Amino acid sequence: MQFDGRDTKVMVVDNDRTTLEMVQIRLDVGGYHPIGARTAEAALEVLGHTRIDALVLERDLPGIDGMAFLEAIAPLQQRRPIPIVLVGRSLAADDVRRAVQLGVRDVLAKPFSGAAVLERVGRVLKKAGPAAPARQTVYLSA
Amino acid sequence: MLATTTPSLATTLDVLAAEIELAGARCIFLDRIIGEVMDGLSDVHRARMMEGLHGVDLLAQHLTSLSAFTRGVSLQAPPELTVPVDEALAEITLGALAERLSAGLGVANDDAEPPPSGDVDLF
Repeated sequence: MQFDGRDTKVMVVDNDRTTLEMVQIRLDVGGYHPIGARTAEAALEVLGHTRIDALVLERDLPGIDGMAFLEAIAPLQQRRPIPIVLVGRSLAADDVRRAVQLGVRDVLAKPFSGAAVLERVGRVLKKAGPAAPARQTVYLSA
Repeated sequence: MLATTTPSLATTLDVLAAEIELAGARCIFLDRIIGEVMDGLSDVHRARMMEGLHGVDLLAQHLTSLSAFTRGVSLQAPPELTVPVDEALAEITLGALAERLSAGLGVANDDAEPPPSGDVDLF
C-alpha cells in the first residue's frame, strides 16, 4: 500500500518474509516509502531503475549474499552513496569492518524490534543528508 | 517414520518474537488507518471509533512487549536446548503463518515468490 507525498524510498532486502513485512509496515507508518526485495538479485534490479534513499540489508541472503551485494553496488556507491543498515543474526567483526568500507553506516543484530530498525534508518538518513520521512506519523514506542 | 525437526530453543523463540513483532506492526498500521478514517466521522461514531482505537493501541503495546520479552528469553536460552516443533506446527491452521514458521524453523523451504516491489504485503 502506498500513499502520496512520500519521497524517501527505503529498500528492505531480506529473504525472511516475517522480517520483510514487519520492517515494511514500520517504515510505511513511519512516513517512508518502503520497497521490499527478497533477494539481492531483485534488489539489484530495483536499483537499476529506482533512486533509493536508504537500504536495510540482510547479511545472509540466499544466492548473492549481503557482502557480495555490497561489492556489486560499490561503483554505484562511489557515484551516489546510499546509506545502508546491515542486519543479521551472526555479524562477524571482519564482515562489519568490510561492510563499513563498502558503505554500510550502521549494523543491527537480529532479532530486532520494529522501533529499533526505524530508529536506525532515521539515523543513517539524518547522517546522509536532507532525506527525512515525508510526513510525521505518531506511533507507539516499543 | 516421519523426521522430527528440533531447532534450538533460541531459534524457536527468535522466530516467535519476529512473528509477534509482525503482529504488533500490523496493529500499528491498523491504528494509523483508524486515525485517518476518524477525521470524516460524526461525533457519535467518532466516540465509538475512539474506543476501538484505544483497544488497538493496547493490543499493539501488548504485542510489542511480548515480542521484547520473547527476544530477551531467546538471548538467555542455553544453546544446547532443542525443541520438537512438528506437532505444534501441524496445529496451526493459518497457512501463511505456518509457512513462515516452518521456514524459520527449518521445516520446509521458503520458496514463495516475493511481493511486488513497493507493496506492503498485508494479510
